[in-house]
Amino acid sequence: MEKTFTEKIQINKRNKIAGLYPATKLQIVILFSISTLIINSIKLTDAKLALLLIPWFALVPFMFAITGEFKKSMKSMKPIFVVAIFIIAVQTFIVSGGQTLWHWHFLSIREKGLQTAISLGFLVLNIAGMFTWMLQSTSTKEISRCFEESGMNFKVAYIFTSSLEMIKVFSKRSQTILDAQRSRGVETEGNLKVRAKAFFPTIVPLILGGIIGSEDRVLTLEARGFSIKGEHTHLFDLKKSGYERRMLVVSIIITLLIIAGRISLWRMK
Amino acid sequence: MAYEIECKDVTYTYPLSKKPAIKNLNLKLEKGKLYGVIGENGAGKTTLCSILRGFAPSFYKGTISGEVLIQGKPLSSYDEQISRKIGYVFQNLFTQISGIKNTVFEEVAYGLENFGVPVEEIERKVVDIMDLTDIMDLAEKSPFELSGGQMQRVALASVIVLDPEILIIDEPTSQLDPQSAESVFKIIKKLKERGKTIILIEHKVDLLAEYSDEIIVLHDSQVIKMGETRHVLSDLSLREHGIQLPQVTLLAEKLRESGMRIDELPITKKQALDLIQEKRS
Repeated sequence: MEKTFTEKIQINKRNKIAGLYPATKLQIVILFSISTLIINSIKLTDAKLALLLIPWFALVPFMFAITGEFKKSMKSMKPIFVVAIFIIAVQTFIVSGGQTLWHWHFLSIREKGLQTAISLGFLVLNIAGMFTWMLQSTSTKEISRCFEESGMNFKVAYIFTSSLEMIKVFSKRSQTILDAQRSRGVETEGNLKVRAKAFFPTIVPLILGGIIGSEDRVLTLEARGFSIKGEHTHLFDLKKSGYERRMLVVSIIITLLIIAGRISLWRMK
Repeated sequence: MAYEIECKDVTYTYPLSKKPAIKNLNLKLEKGKLYGVIGENGAGKTTLCSILRGFAPSFYKGTISGEVLIQGKPLSSYDEQISRKIGYVFQNLFTQISGIKNTVFEEVAYGLENFGVPVEEIERKVVDIMDLTDIMDLAEKSPFELSGGQMQRVALASVIVLDPEILIIDEPTSQLDPQSAESVFKIIKKLKERGKTIILIEHKVDLLAEYSDEIIVLHDSQVIKMGETRHVLSDLSLREHGIQLPQVTLLAEKLRESGMRIDELPITKKQALDLIQEKRS
């Protein structure tokens, strides 16, 4: 029997981890972030480096893999890797203080520099990586529905969802404006100065168009009973995968073990 | 007799403006008729529709005098349920998409979700309307990936699905090619057959001549003429107010000038054809 449209719009994930309830995913991300901050406070070697953050990062690709979204998630990690590498490079070679660990011509690595480089770089990689896991395995539709189910006002949920969707629309529209400006003779390609010059003729129509459009959109929503009082119907039914409790318990245990480890290390001192 | 819409000496001025956007408006619109609204840019067509829907002054603010009655009751006495009484399709295609739905089916169903309609009923109603507006094949597509014509049909469907008794449509074909414009008009015709009262702002007078029952002509914030479509659109003096007349009317006028005897100017192709056949015989 053919599915109805309402059945077709439901999200049925075979992977139980990918199908976790969005709130549970957020709780896991928060616990992971707390654990990361605790691990960051554990300093190893004489140079007092937070080296444990490096193996801890293995958990991020592991989560990508068990969610069945490894390739896609790693691809979206690219800009985060770039930022992390930039942070590590800048901090390592620029921040001064402490003993000189390595020196070659004008380049030198100081103790303090390496400490902050590893600390900051891997904090970004770990925390942003886990958020990437959550966002890659959860659609905006699921997040928005979860917000509403948790009692958040539907207007706030709308703003969240439409903002995310509008990013795609605006990036598409900016390309159209860019093409239009190019056809009028505005140079949009070349060095940084040329690109900066092209920035304003592109951004101004984009922003103004957005502002004008928002008034129409408010009325459009109003015409469809957006602010009507009373119970709304939801065609999309957000389901739980059944692994929520298990995953949360495992995450809590790991976090507690890390806290216990941190405390015992303090006591040993 | 209670009219579907009645305006009694309505004058409306936008905030920060000294000049009224609509002056001394008196209208009596009957149930089940299609009213075409024409006029130059800035004549007050969209403002008129905003007044009839209540957006002016509730949303745009400004000052209003006079009275608007919907089915005999003051417009101000209706609550948010007015959305199910009066549907409004806007001019701009791209801002008519809710921006939060992944498929056309969900987009069309959005209004019904807001009104708390049961799921099974939503499915049934949306399928019916998608069929009427010929967008069934788009049901699983993203609303953002549609062409202008498709988007306009989805916007129409999203409003019609609420089953409003009155429908205000603001220049639905302004951004469409002739073929898409024709398909939108066919949908409007079907809605009229379902007994809806339709107020349609449109510049394409040839299409209005084919489909509308009555025409309202606006000029400089006032209604300067209103009446049966043929009577209004064959009035050549309207050209003085920047109003375009149907192509066949202009052609017939040229023929009349060249000496052919034409008693009543045609406004549609069919009327023009009848006239030619009459002259030949």
